[in-house]
Amino acid sequence: MHWFRFAVFVLVAAVLQASLADIVAITSLNIKPDLLLILLVFFAIYCNTFEAIISSFVIGFAADIIMVGSPIGPRIIGFGLFGTALAYLSRVITIKKMPYQSIAIFIIAVLAGTLAHLLASFRGQPSASGVYAFIFGTSLYSSLVGPFLFLPSAWWMRIKADRLS
Amino acid sequence: MARKRIKVSKGILFTWLLLAGFIFFLTPQSLTNKFQFAFAGIFRWPLSIGRNISLSARIQRPLTDVVSRREFNKLQSHLANVTEELLEKHKKIERLSGMRDRLHALEGAKLVLADVITASIDGSHSELIINRGQDNGLAVGQFVMGDNSIIGTISDVSPRTAKVRLITDPTSKIAVKIRELKTIIQGGGKNSTKVQLLSIKHKVEVGDEVYARKKPGFLDTPMKIGTVAQCKRDDENPLLWDITVKPTCDVEKVSDVAVIIMNPSRTN
Repeated sequence: MHWFRFAVFVLVAAVLQASLADIVAITSLNIKPDLLLILLVFFAIYCNTFEAIISSFVIGFAADIIMVGSPIGPRIIGFGLFGTALAYLSRVITIKKMPYQSIAIFIIAVLAGTLAHLLASFRGQPSASGVYAFIFGTSLYSSLVGPFLFLPSAWWMRIKADRLS
Repeated sequence: MARKRIKVSKGILFTWLLLAGFIFFLTPQSLTNKFQFAFAGIFRWPLSIGRNISLSARIQRPLTDVVSRREFNKLQSHLANVTEELLEKHKKIERLSGMRDRLHALEGAKLVLADVITASIDGSHSELIINRGQDNGLAVGQFVMGDNSIIGTISDVSPRTAKVRLITDPTSKIAVKIRELKTIIQGGGKNSTKVQLLSIKHKVEVGDEVYARKKPGFLDTPMKIGTVAQCKRDDENPLLWDITVKPTCDVEKVSDVAVIIMNPSRTN
């Protein structure tokens, strides 16, 4: 794993998520793809378990940092937990085809988003009525977009092309 | 001398990182906010550019022979503010004839213009980070304007940045008046706010203008917040109104704001 490349990649993704991602936002709920979550799934699938655990928590931290006004922690825990689980799962089940990657992104996004929301609620963070629709919409949008971002991600991270099929 | 390499198992690593996550989670938000401020401060330039690009991409091209809805709302708010200010003056003249009239609404107040660095607007919270802070005289509680209407208040400040809690944030509560009726609005997410606990004996209609009430030291004259967009009986308690207020300013598209500092000499 090229950790410097990883750090730059996560920072760029965090900045894009906090600013430019609004371009592709849809509906009044401002639903947009979660770039950091897509990266989480990418690293969980294509890195070894040790690297995947570290990258999951780091990406969770980045996801918390860009969420202005929300407490830091829920996404570190949510992303870390489910990213690690996916890393172990991908050792057993091969998730190399795009439809499977799409399903993996959707499931992880729903689970991590819901856990992060519940933890934030536990900290007294108020929630509006459309929050579950927002999580579902974001998960669906990310799952549709995510697999197409895996190839450029692999190129940047210098992960061999034969690991992608 | 060969360096001894410490080996950490995956289980231990996971436990440590999860523990770190819980430490962050249980740390008071006032402390962890510093990380968010630091991120917004360090990446201020790319975040501003990115946000401006996304805003310009989302704003529709206006027709050539009419003004845009945003410009129209802006001018309408200005007109409403001036009209309200005029009415206030008339009332005061009637009440205190012979005495020196009060100052112009924002005369003596300092308006600090700021650009939005990041906006976090979704169902659960609506907040902005702006590129002005304590160094510019900003303090918690000050009102923030966008398109000549009140859009929120300062909820947290660092030396160079500040956090604005928008009126649509579920935790935001602002004293307002609708006609001559004094009440409170609370953020309802999704670019709307709700009026709380208002009996149906009071007359309120769709289209009524909603003003932020005077707050000594922070706002010396009522200023427009929005208009009543929906007014119906509450489903759970038919004796109360269920009123939805639509903010004048489209907070999702705001790229620059003005912070009202009523007593600049004291705050600077």
